[in-house]
Amino acid sequence: MIPRITYICSQLVKNIERNLFHMFGHPPKELALAYVHEHKPVSSPQKFSLKDIIGDGMLWAVPKFRRTNERKLKRKFGSPEYVLKILLPKNNIKVCQDCGHHHEKGRLCEHCYTKVKKETQEIQDKIQEKLGLNPIENDVVVLYEGEKLPDEPKEFWNGKRIVEMKKERPQWFSKNLLQKTTQQPSDSTDVKPTDLA
Amino acid sequence: MNQAEVSKLVSKLRIKVPPKHRKLPNPKGPEGRLDKLRKTVTGLIKYERIELNYNRADEARQYAERLISEAIRHGDCHKPTMDTANFWLLEKELVHKLFKVLVPRFENSSVAYTKLYNAPKPQYARVLDKAVLELKGNPYPELGNKQTNNKYFIQNILLDAAKHEYRQAKYAEVANKIGQAGNETSPVNTENAEKLNEKPMSS
Ligand SMILES: [Zn+2]
Repeated sequence: MIPRITYICSQLVKNIERNLFHMFGHPPKELALAYVHEHKPVSSPQKFSLKDIIGDGMLWAVPKFRRTNERKLKRKFGSPEYVLKILLPKNNIKVCQDCGHHHEKGRLCEHCYTKVKKETQEIQDKIQEKLGLNPIENDVVVLYEGEKLPDEPKEFWNGKRIVEMKKERPQWFSKNLLQKTTQQPSDSTDVKPTDLA
Repeated sequence: MNQAEVSKLVSKLRIKVPPKHRKLPNPKGPEGRLDKLRKTVTGLIKYERIELNYNRADEARQYAERLISEAIRHGDCHKPTMDTANFWLLEKELVHKLFKVLVPRFENSSVAYTKLYNAPKPQYARVLDKAVLELKGNPYPELGNKQTNNKYFIQNILLDAAKHEYRQAKYAEVANKIGQAGNETSPVNTENAEKLNEKPMSS
């Protein structure tokens, strides 16, 4: 860090100096050091060769300054304040109560949601198809194949639209959760507790 | 003290309303935002369950709640309410639905009229949060957990205690058996051990 700062500072000072001289003109010639001009013997002009420039070799883009340990570690593993690059355990995974698949806490279970979404889409399409562009004045009752209207008083059916789905009701979508609609009630009367030991 | 009671002017929503609205950036500005929200509210009233980005869903939910509560408060003979409904519902047959279907459905309810779920999100993917927005009392299959956590029902606690007791009794029985067997076989074991100890000495 310190070499980098000194480098930047020296560059800055150099720039300022140069700009100031440019603005106000160079210092008067009298301030220049006196020097004696000496006549040098003129050397014979040499032939130009690339070797004069390159010499033993030249460096392309290379690191100019040392990277500190802190910086190195941050580049490698990330920083907890911004982005951590290392793998971290997730503590917000729950098991779905209905199907047993895993899902994030506070979110719907993906497995359950896909099948609900598909069924919802089908019902929505059916409703739209049946309704068309008429003004909507009635609530919708969805009936599946082989289902009768539930026993309700006549007033309940006043102003209800019945939409029939041309398939059996999915087992997981039952109206009464205590009683499965697509399963025959069993005749056996004995109750055998399981999972006791 | 001649201030009008605010609660009588504006119907109180049953959902949490943030202090600041979302801007929902749009090239058309605030009008574009309202257009978007009108589309969403219309879709919600029409389909009763929609999936969309969380921010837009949460913002549209507030407007939908307000619209339904106004409709319940004033009925369909109130001019301003009718105008509001006309503004927010782009398909005019839905105005009928609002007053003839949704008002009777929610008249006596004491909770919010809509429900917002967080939709599942793929792991380790950089995607926007999705949400599922629905009207309550819709004919579709339920989204939330159908089986509630019944671990703390009194029957289940008693059954658990019974299981625990039964297991403890079994464990005690098994431990007793092992103990008796161990007493019988222990002399043999000690002899073997002595033999083992002697072997390296002799060799
Ligand atoms: Zn599930």
